[in-house]
Amino acid sequence: MKPNTNLDELLSSFIDGELSPRQRTEVQRMAAHDPSVAKRLRQLQNCRTLFCSLPPAEAPGDMLEQIRQSLERKTLLQEQPVAARRATGVIHLVFRKLVAAAAMIALLAFLGAIVYQVVAPVSGPDPTITVAVAPPETISTDTGGRMPPMVVEDKGFCGRLEFQTAMFVSTDAFVKRAIGVCGLENLAQPEVMGNRSVYRVVGARADICRLVASLGSLWNQMDSASLHVDRLQGAAPVVVEAATADQVATVVARNSTEASIETAQVYAAMNHMARTMPGSELPSTLSDDMGSLWAMHAVPMPKLTGPEKPTQAIHTPAEGTAQASLTIVLLRTTK
Amino acid sequence: MYLRAANINIDDSVLVQQSQMGDATAMERLILRYQNRIYNVILKMCGNADDAAELAQETFVKVIESIDKFQGKSSFYTWLFRIAVNLTLNHCQRSSRTATRSLDAEETEPDGTATQTLRECLSDERAVDPAAVAQSRELCELAKKCLLQLEEPQRAVVVLRDIEGMDYAQIADVLNIELGTVRSRLSRARSSLRDILEAMLK
Repeated sequence: MKPNTNLDELLSSFIDGELSPRQRTEVQRMAAHDPSVAKRLRQLQNCRTLFCSLPPAEAPGDMLEQIRQSLERKTLLQEQPVAARRATGVIHLVFRKLVAAAAMIALLAFLGAIVYQVVAPVSGPDPTITVAVAPPETISTDTGGRMPPMVVEDKGFCGRLEFQTAMFVSTDAFVKRAIGVCGLENLAQPEVMGNRSVYRVVGARADICRLVASLGSLWNQMDSASLHVDRLQGAAPVVVEAATADQVATVVARNSTEASIETAQVYAAMNHMARTMPGSELPSTLSDDMGSLWAMHAVPMPKLTGPEKPTQAIHTPAEGTAQASLTIVLLRTTK
Repeated sequence: MYLRAANINIDDSVLVQQSQMGDATAMERLILRYQNRIYNVILKMCGNADDAAELAQETFVKVIESIDKFQGKSSFYTWLFRIAVNLTLNHCQRSSRTATRSLDAEETEPDGTATQTLRECLSDERAVDPAAVAQSRELCELAKKCLLQLEEPQRAVVVLRDIEGMDYAQIADVLNIELGTVRSRLSRARSSLRDILEAMLK
């Protein structure tokens, strides 16, 4: 007989006692009147009895102990990774702190070295040169008045300007005349030894600047020009190779010895780079005395703001103004 | 000592409350009270004694870990069996061949008496004698084998109803299904069992 699904469901529920009283009565009535329903009911009851009669299995005797051990294992497994993670985290954190500290120290050392190179103190006057110490003069920088005026003590300038020229005679005569025109006096012993002339002038910075300016037209006749700026305490002088007239004037015009030395160092480095680097970008930049490289150095050019106008100061140097000493050396180039 | 403790007639809810308050003895009593029934249901569902022991153990571990979260919306009994049945069904799905291997290993040919009893049972010539079923090891193995050939959802309702003795409402609660689904699934399972038994005896 093909089982009737609905009937099977009804009979199954009847066997399990899951029918309402009305449904139970209905099933009983059906089984009493229909032998096939009665047979199917008995088959299902036998089937159920078969499985209900299966002997129950008993749990292993050590179930409770096994549960305890399992819980202990789980606890250990959960604890170990946490502890391991914590230790790893601490080590990682300490390592990162150490690395950060080392990086900070290295950065500070590097910055310190750079700052020291830029603002390295130049102490003590050159013992070989005696220059009058000028009283401090008030200056302002050319940064648009953003910085307050500062007082700088000018200890003077001392340097040597060396020319090499094939037109020795005419150049020598020009220099001698320029010194006289600027109202300066050659303090050096006349030294014209055929191939070399030496002039030494001492005066106010403005006068020396004027002299340098008047020598500007000479540069075309020179094979080379180098400026040697003496440093204090017997240190080696700063040598500006291939110095231009503007560079010399700028170095001499600085308002303090330190500023002159720093400017000379910058020009020395720039000219050296211009000679060693290929291309014409840098030389063209150097031709502009207030060019971008100079701006990069960020040393503001001083501008006199004292009671005396600069033009007056140039023509009539006040007494006590910082003295500058310039030695001009002319060398004959042998062709 | 444990057995004596388990036999003390304390309501489940009291023991659950004590367990939630950290009373380990109460939890031990609950485990001892239910360990055989849980193990029996799991064994009938998965067909392997080792797996059944492990799953029963895992069930109780899960109960201990989650007893704090038990809110009493259903009875502890149905909650416990829900955990056990879910773990077992997951296990059966993961390793559906386990039961087959186990059966292959234990396969025994029913002797003549057992076969005759079963034939009579199926042909409705006489009612099944539970004592005869219990005494016949071959018949038991045959019934277990039939059970394991059922689909897992059907096997679960048969085991919970015919072996554990749950009513339809409890089965619906444990399996999280509708009452009507329990009814129809159980009916189909019994029809399938009968078909499987008939096929075995041919």
